[in-house]
Amino acid sequence: MLLEVRDLVIDYRATRGRVRAVDGVSFDVPAGAVVGVVGESGCGKTTAVRAITRVMPSSAVFAAGSISLDGVDLVGLSEREMKKHLWRDIAYVPQSAMNALDPVWRVGKQIEEVLVDRGGMNRKAARARAEDLFAMVGLEAKRLGDFPHQFSGGMRQRASIALALALSPKLIIADEPVTALDVVIQRQVLDTFADLQKQLGLSVILVTHDISVVAYVCDYVVVMYAGKVVESGPVADVLDTPGHPYTMGLYNAFPELAGEERELSPIEGSPPDLLDPPKGCRFRARCPFAIAVCTLDPPEHIIGTGHVAYCHRASEAQDLRETAKRTETWVGVTSE
Amino acid sequence: MNQPLIAVQGLSKRFDVSRSMADVLTGRHPQLQAVSDVDFTLQRGETLGIVGESGCGKTTLGRMLIKLIPASEGTVLFDGQDIAAMDRTQELAFRRRAQLVFQNPFDALNPHFTILRSLREPLHNARVPFEEHAGRIAEAMKMVHLPAPDHFLQSFPHQLSGGQLQRVVLARALVLRPEFIVADEPVSMLDVSVRAGILNVLREVRDRMGLAAVFISHDLALVRYVCARTITMYLGAVVEDGPTRDIVENPLHPYTKALVQAVPIPRVDQSHAPLPITGGLPDALNPPSGCRFRDRCPVAEARCATEVPRLRDVGGARRVACHFV
Repeated sequence: MLLEVRDLVIDYRATRGRVRAVDGVSFDVPAGAVVGVVGESGCGKTTAVRAITRVMPSSAVFAAGSISLDGVDLVGLSEREMKKHLWRDIAYVPQSAMNALDPVWRVGKQIEEVLVDRGGMNRKAARARAEDLFAMVGLEAKRLGDFPHQFSGGMRQRASIALALALSPKLIIADEPVTALDVVIQRQVLDTFADLQKQLGLSVILVTHDISVVAYVCDYVVVMYAGKVVESGPVADVLDTPGHPYTMGLYNAFPELAGEERELSPIEGSPPDLLDPPKGCRFRARCPFAIAVCTLDPPEHIIGTGHVAYCHRASEAQDLRETAKRTETWVGVTSE
Repeated sequence: MNQPLIAVQGLSKRFDVSRSMADVLTGRHPQLQAVSDVDFTLQRGETLGIVGESGCGKTTLGRMLIKLIPASEGTVLFDGQDIAAMDRTQELAFRRRAQLVFQNPFDALNPHFTILRSLREPLHNARVPFEEHAGRIAEAMKMVHLPAPDHFLQSFPHQLSGGQLQRVVLARALVLRPEFIVADEPVSMLDVSVRAGILNVLREVRDRMGLAAVFISHDLALVRYVCARTITMYLGAVVEDGPTRDIVENPLHPYTKALVQAVPIPRVDQSHAPLPITGGLPDALNPPSGCRFRDRCPVAEARCATEVPRLRDVGGARRVACHFV
């Protein structure tokens, strides 16, 4: 296993108290695999993966958990030692490509800077490597002299992928890499990304709210809700035979273009307030299948090889899936 | 004769762009053609989707339809009346009958106004008698499935979730009982789980009120869910128009084909075949000659560089702008 995250707990200091944004999250990233972390805004997916890079806002508190990369415990490292791993072993592609690139520097310079400062290359070698990197992501070498604002959205995203690849890291963490892009450009960037991943044998964590992006490029998926993992496993298993009602609901809420048109059902209500999360299952207030026992913490239920769901009723998943397909199941669930 | 609610003829929009020093010295006024020569009609109760990439002019077109920005050329007839040539009374009536639903619910409401005040404002502006306000607001809130108790109406935008806010924005558009709405990416800022709720409300409103609606989105899957008919735009021009079902199942224009193929689906067993088109939108200030899509088109020939393809009727209520269809 390349990366093992265990029982990760991250808090944010807020004026009204501590918000537990990530509450006991565990997942693995096998070498050479693409793992999708999927969930709604505020579910803690970005916080959980940023904790791996230790690049966090000052209000974030690492409360508990272990993160091990290739057997090295990242949590125990000093700032200086951690710095050695960033870029070289782990690279981070932030949510908006505009954030990855400094607006007042030429794009080529920014890539060369990483190669020189972190990779110890000389200027000339760095220049050549930057040209190679641009070619890999499908950009022309002459665009290295451009500023970020001269790039289109898709090109900026390609450039930030080139930047992440600069020192050939083992693990790339990409946060919503294609969210702001149009479908055509999104598909093109995803194809480039998937090709590079296979070619270079990269391990990737891809954070997204879009299950179709997960279906398109990921091998494994971790579904998060209100700071916790609710389900995880191989993509095909989780999408075809979801074991958690939230995953079932996500699928039913998603319009797809292929096949016959189906009625969409929203998941009514909104996620709980993490300042004062409910006891037991956090999804129960919006769950059409909630029963009395759901006020207790949900147990881990193994559905298949590597496929687990955290739900009291996961053993009935097959029946629940059938019921979940009906629109009326999801109507009037919450009292809101 | 059944007069369409909206008839758009030769509609174009050019924006002035900032001039470089060279432009000033040579006396040039560069302009960006955001929308060029668009024609279509919309019947009462019809829902029309407009799809295309960012920068294709779909938002500009939507704004011209409800007279938020003036057209450079061409006309929009609303119920037979030219919206550019209305007097004050006619304009007031038009503003009651045509409404816009904004993209970002977090920006669309005044943060200092209670929900009640935001909903009351359009009624006040349209000179609806005060006694009718409460009834109209209750009706609109019911339509979008929001609770109408006092404490909800007295809350402020920051106290509501994104999904609730978008419902309020929608209610504000419906409170005047319009005949026509333009919804510009109404769910793009929302999470998937609440998106479906807004889309279902749009469908209900369409069916119950018999509204004509233009739904602008870059996502064909969303458009298919709400609209019976779809227009595809590329770099300011309409390239395809037809029943949504036919466009999704059998797209004719090479650009629409790529759009349909590019929409990701939540299944593992999907095609990973490379898209038939490459690159991004060309520079809108210097669009290619002839067919604007030709530099990305897999079937382009010499003719495409010289001859602009007209939007032609190809039967089955479909129109396509391509020499090879």
